[in-house]
Amino acid sequence: MLIEMRGIERVYHLGRSDDVHALCGISFGVERGEWVAIVGQSGSGKSTLMNIIGCLDTPTGGHYLLNGRDVAQLSDDDLSDIRNREIGFIFQTFQLLARESALSNVELPLVYRGIRARERRERARAALSEVGLADRMRHLPTELSGGQRQRVAVARALVSQPSLLLADEPTGNLDSGTGEEIMKLFEQLHAKGHTLCLVTHEPRLAARCPRAIRLHDGRIVADGPGREVAFAQLPGSAA
Amino acid sequence: MSLRVDLIEGSRIAVLSLGVNRLRTLLTTLGIGIGVATLLCILGIVQGLNASFATQLSSLGSSTLWISKFPWVITGDDWWLYRNRKDFTLDDVQAIRDQSRFAAAVAPELGRGGSVSYGDRGLSHVHVTGTTGDYLTVSGFELQTGRAITDADSEYRKNVVVIGADVAESLFPHSDPIGAILRVRDLPFEVVGTLVRKGKFLGESQDTTVIIPFRTFLAAFGKRRGFEIGVAIENPDQLNQAEDELMSIMRRSRGTPADEPNDFEINRSEQLAKTYNQLTAALYGVALGVGGITLLVGGFGIMNIMLVSVRERTREIGVRRALGARRRTVIVQFLLEAMAVAAVGGSIGTLVGLAGAKLVASITPLAATVEFSTVLFGVGFSSLVGLLFGIWPAARAAALDPVESLRWE
Repeated sequence: MLIEMRGIERVYHLGRSDDVHALCGISFGVERGEWVAIVGQSGSGKSTLMNIIGCLDTPTGGHYLLNGRDVAQLSDDDLSDIRNREIGFIFQTFQLLARESALSNVELPLVYRGIRARERRERARAALSEVGLADRMRHLPTELSGGQRQRVAVARALVSQPSLLLADEPTGNLDSGTGEEIMKLFEQLHAKGHTLCLVTHEPRLAARCPRAIRLHDGRIVADGPGREVAFAQLPGSAA
Repeated sequence: MSLRVDLIEGSRIAVLSLGVNRLRTLLTTLGIGIGVATLLCILGIVQGLNASFATQLSSLGSSTLWISKFPWVITGDDWWLYRNRKDFTLDDVQAIRDQSRFAAAVAPELGRGGSVSYGDRGLSHVHVTGTTGDYLTVSGFELQTGRAITDADSEYRKNVVVIGADVAESLFPHSDPIGAILRVRDLPFEVVGTLVRKGKFLGESQDTTVIIPFRTFLAAFGKRRGFEIGVAIENPDQLNQAEDELMSIMRRSRGTPADEPNDFEINRSEQLAKTYNQLTAALYGVALGVGGITLLVGGFGIMNIMLVSVRERTREIGVRRALGARRRTVIVQFLLEAMAVAAVGGSIGTLVGLAGAKLVASITPLAATVEFSTVLFGVGFSSLVGLLFGIWPAARAAALDPVESLRWE
């Protein structure tokens, strides 16, 4: 099992008495090669869960095993290394470095892994070709369209051959046509055997994933095939 | 990731960001630049002074003691006290010649300014020295041609003169001066010798000089003039013993009562060196103080701009952290950037400082040399300032929470 969550809690201490329970006892597992959507409305805790899955944040309770390793107790440096090797992030706002070319942006994770310049360049080129941007490598992000920027971001996530691609509302800043292209790209990546985790508030997108986990108020309320979970009624909510 | 990779990647980013905010970088570095320029300019001048002073001092004759009514370095307002002391006499000179075991040569030295002319050529502000034989040994001058002034010249009040290099060049550009009759303060003197060029002392030429016999000087320019006595010591290691000996000879010769302090001074070039060193130490102190304060101000400028930079690039920091940059990587990146900004300022300041020192050297008699180590110091020290003042902004950058930074608008 790639991801194993056991009773994950995340409490934010805002004041002396105002503790916010963003996640309350989350437990689930993700196998290698799965494509899972984490769906929920804003405030459901899905962003917090994504940060924990991506090792940007650590849970305040429970166990999170990534590749069999409990990451809850790891040091900051170890978490950095895990993010570098195991996780490929794809953000809603692309998060490309504006001053660097597409190629340099894609190279960045390999820089932090200490890989030599020549190999870095080759692998970054290959990743950009894989997302169909072989002819845009020298362009700055500002010289690319939204869809192309997100492709650069996907290439950056792929380049370090991570265990998990973690996409946070990847189509949120794109028009529906370009968003569709990105979803197609994910389908291709899934077909190639990549493990994907898509965090979204759109049931429409979650429905296209083989599996979806629905969060509500920091708890998992549904876990099953995407089509069923995406449009399921919340227990206790009005029709 | 290794520190080496951190350094390489950090340098690349630092250079990149310098290029992006050129104007801002330049303005920020102004403070550091001015500090370094001030430091280098003053240090350059002091170093130049040191170098020339050392050689000039040796031209005074390091093993000569100068007995005078006045100390070379007068502090406070004791001038009248010294002035009212009894003048020396030739008997004092003779006493030293007869009694001193350490003296190799003894000569009195009278001096005043005046103009010198030959035909229609003239030279003003010439130092006229009245003395006896042995003066060359005492003063460190060397004969170029002809002969020196002798005791006999003085005894018979001959109107003969030995001329310095400047005088020879000005008055006799195309002819041999020996045997020529020139006028010193309108009195005729026959040139019997010329001196080898000695160079400048504290910016003043020592070669605009003429030497005439002692008694001739007294007869021509007035009897009631005080003079100094130069005593060349045979063995420079025995200066202290020689000083003690001269003190007792002079006290006896002048009849100084046993219960009274010396009514004369024994000077040596070492004292000048000491005073000089005190002076330059003060200059150094001022330079370091001024430069240090400016660098401090410049350092705060850098800290300020680095804090702005960290704020502006919060999202970039978040992205880098998400992609696997460790805290150390972020620290190194921003430290290098701060150092780069400071080094740019340091380099500009170094150039300006060098130019300033050269300018001072060319328009004033002060010498200025800038040693390579000073340049290294300028650039290195400013980088160090950048490093120190970059620590806090860099630490803040590294302490940012990746999740928060990624959300930063």
